[in-house]
Amino acid sequence: MAPLLEVKNIRTYFHTQDGVVKAVDGVSYDVNRGETIALVGESGCGKTVSALSILRLVAEPAGKIISGEILFNGVDLLKLSDAEMHKMRGARISIIFQEPQTSLNPVLTIGRQISEGLEFHKNMSLHDGMLEATRLLKLVGIPHPERRVYEYPHQFSGGMRQRAMIAIAIACQPQLIIADEPTTVVDVTIQAQLLELIRNITKELDTALILITHNLGIVARYAKRVFVMYAGNIVEYGQALDVYHQPCHPYTAGLLASVPRLDEPRKNRLQPIEGQPPDLIAPPAGCAFQARCTYSLPQCSKEKPVLMQITPGHFAACWISQRGTKPWQK
Amino acid sequence: MAVEINTPVVFERPPHTLWGDAIIRLRRNYFAMGGLAFIILLSLAAICAPLITHYGFADQHLDQILQGPSAQHWMGTDQLGRDTFARLLYGARTSLAVGIFTQFIVIVIGLPIGAIAGYAGGRVDNYIMRFVDVMYAFPDILLIILLRSVLGGSIYMLFLAIGLVAWVNISRLVRGQLMALKSRDFVSAAKAMGGMGPYITWRHLLPNALGPIIISITFNIPRAIFTEAALSYIGIGVKPPTPSWGAMIQDGFNLIFSKPYMLLFPAIALALLMLAFTFLGDGLRDALDPKMRR
Amino acid sequence: MGRFIIRRVLWLILVLFVVLLITFILMHLVPGGPWDREKALAPKVIEALNKRYGLDLPLWRQFVNYAWGVLHGDLGISYSYSDRTVVSILAHGIPKTATLGILAFVVAQAIGIPFGVAAALKQNSAVDYASVLFSTVFASIPGFVLGILLIVLFAVVLHWLPTSGWGSIQQLIMPVFCLAALPAAQSARITRASTLDVMRQDYVRTARSKGIMESTVRVRHIFRNSLIPVVTVAGPELANLITGSFIIENLFAIPGVGRLFVQGIFARDYTLIMGGVLFYAITIALLNLVVDILYAAIDPRIRYE
Repeated sequence: MAPLLEVKNIRTYFHTQDGVVKAVDGVSYDVNRGETIALVGESGCGKTVSALSILRLVAEPAGKIISGEILFNGVDLLKLSDAEMHKMRGARISIIFQEPQTSLNPVLTIGRQISEGLEFHKNMSLHDGMLEATRLLKLVGIPHPERRVYEYPHQFSGGMRQRAMIAIAIACQPQLIIADEPTTVVDVTIQAQLLELIRNITKELDTALILITHNLGIVARYAKRVFVMYAGNIVEYGQALDVYHQPCHPYTAGLLASVPRLDEPRKNRLQPIEGQPPDLIAPPAGCAFQARCTYSLPQCSKEKPVLMQITPGHFAACWISQRGTKPWQK
Repeated sequence: MAVEINTPVVFERPPHTLWGDAIIRLRRNYFAMGGLAFIILLSLAAICAPLITHYGFADQHLDQILQGPSAQHWMGTDQLGRDTFARLLYGARTSLAVGIFTQFIVIVIGLPIGAIAGYAGGRVDNYIMRFVDVMYAFPDILLIILLRSVLGGSIYMLFLAIGLVAWVNISRLVRGQLMALKSRDFVSAAKAMGGMGPYITWRHLLPNALGPIIISITFNIPRAIFTEAALSYIGIGVKPPTPSWGAMIQDGFNLIFSKPYMLLFPAIALALLMLAFTFLGDGLRDALDPKMRR
Repeated sequence: MGRFIIRRVLWLILVLFVVLLITFILMHLVPGGPWDREKALAPKVIEALNKRYGLDLPLWRQFVNYAWGVLHGDLGISYSYSDRTVVSILAHGIPKTATLGILAFVVAQAIGIPFGVAAALKQNSAVDYASVLFSTVFASIPGFVLGILLIVLFAVVLHWLPTSGWGSIQQLIMPVFCLAALPAAQSARITRASTLDVMRQDYVRTARSKGIMESTVRVRHIFRNSLIPVVTVAGPELANLITGSFIIENLFAIPGVGRLFVQGIFARDYTLIMGGVLFYAITIALLNLVVDILYAAIDPRIRYE
């Protein structure tokens, strides 16, 4: 069966005063029905932009999807009319944003914000929409939903707002949910609760999920496959456990070393990745990670590596691992 | 997220100071520079008025009353045979003097009061702000008219009347700025190093509040000029024969059907001066407050 | 909310009292008195007049008497309009001033807000530049200068509209437009800035991600939020229109409160001046109160406790 979503070689550029920022520069991935994948990378690597590209919500006129295809159920979203795209957003594909503080409209009740998608996509009346909103709030674990539904965002705590965002995202039972760093701004105990909630709900509704995060540590628990992004490109992907245990790109290895791992005794100190991501206006000629890579070869600064299969189903864009060596593996 | 795309941007321009940056931004703003040029030219013309025209503002030529524009009288003459161009130039002196001197009074009164309220806080602040509330309850221009009647007819008393009403805005602004700045780290640092109260205010707080104060003054100057013109137009501004654009408009208004150009010249001059200050003020605000930029 | 309103009203009464006191003191500091005439009146006559109007009493007694009267809705008798009460004089002026002010306010918002929104939605387009230029020009040209230019054009040159007076629609057009120009420009500028700000907010992106119609996003999510700063300045704007209209009233010879007030100043008509100040101060205070209440209605984050 064809995948639910196939992102093929998309490029999303931003025109700024200083030049064209190649935020996403030829990225491909796919999601199967009901599957959870993870898109991992540092902030600024283009993962959010690539997700916004799927919904065609990249901030225009500065941002523009230059080329590529985004096939959803075999239909190219980039070729849809605005009206057809409106029917996709919220109804078939929805998104959970990372800032619950600012992502909810301060002057509308929570219930209204959940119900407006239902009113539009399912032709519900406001009354039915509010009833459904109450049910959804209960589903995402908000106590006293019948009262809370009439409250405003400022009366909700950060964690509860993010639950409300989840309720908005699942309201129309979409086939795909994009969760853009859904837990970065809430505290650690609530992070785990929210991720469990998202996982349970997607499982229950048989919804596919793209989990966008910078924390490679949590990925293996929730996602089946992982795509690691760096400087607007995918540098490694494969089964979550493979990537987690045997990273084939030094960047992935670096990401793993920089987050605490629960499955290993705490013998090593956390290692941040030194240096800064490259300038996306004028990216370097060779491997984008070369300047920060401890293991780089002469070839790395000259030729840009492409994704190649290292082990079955496990791909990486790295000259070092493509030679069959993994010096970062201890 | 905007943050994400901004992160990798490399700054090639050498970093400037706030003021250096502001001047560069201001220079690029043609409207603001045009406004500034107009204000400077008008000021020079007003100062050098005797060199530009040989007519005095009060010289009456009763044999040449109500003439249209000509080579001899560029903008014609009024009902007493006075040269309109000369009166316009000398009238600019009145307008600019009102603009500048009222702001001087506003600063002398408003700055210390705002600084005291903002710095002291608590009960002192409370009393001052209650008083400011009462001032706000008065209709500005009517209070100026009342003060004008109390203080008498001289032009200096007119400055004072306008200044006594207009200081409220500046003191509110200074207070607000100080309140916001007071909680910042660098002030705590200055306190920790043993700086005294007024010293901290003077050395650290005022320079930081300077931008908004300058912007506010730039917008207040045309307001004061307008007030003088309006009062003179009604007949309670500067006393004749001191030339004032407002009074010239009043003179011309009586002859609006027969000699409309008589009031058009001062009316247009007033409109242009107000516009020049607005353009300059907008430019300054955009230059000094990068957050407000489009 | 109820408590907030009561507290505000009590505070307002206190402010009005202080305003009256200050006005009273200022007026009595003015050199000269209400009986100054070209030809001096006989001292006997002045004495009789003073007695009749209570001006022979000590100042504090005069003020107490006046304040007591105000509490009973009695603003005293005008000195210059013989035997007419200030209340009846103001009652003739207020409807005209209020009509002018309210009409100008409605016209200003009806022009300013749509222009501001249109400019923001089409940022850097011709509409935007035109709107910014016009709003800057109208925000800086004084109303009476604009009035003069309009009179010269429409009354003197084209003969389309009457120069002055009160009573017909034609006579209203120019004064209303002159008064409306400034607040229209201000509203356009504020609406444009706040709409641009709101359009960048995350919650607008959230709304778009729901797939609802763009018009719904604009009306429900952008417009409602961008209106908040517009509402906060609406009160002062309307107050300015009503208090600032005296020049326009003079220019177009409209017998409103502003014109009465100016006449009162010239005639040293103490009671009329006090009545005028009271009217203006109450107007400003009430409008500010209304705005605070409206503000809470439009922005649920604001709750007055």
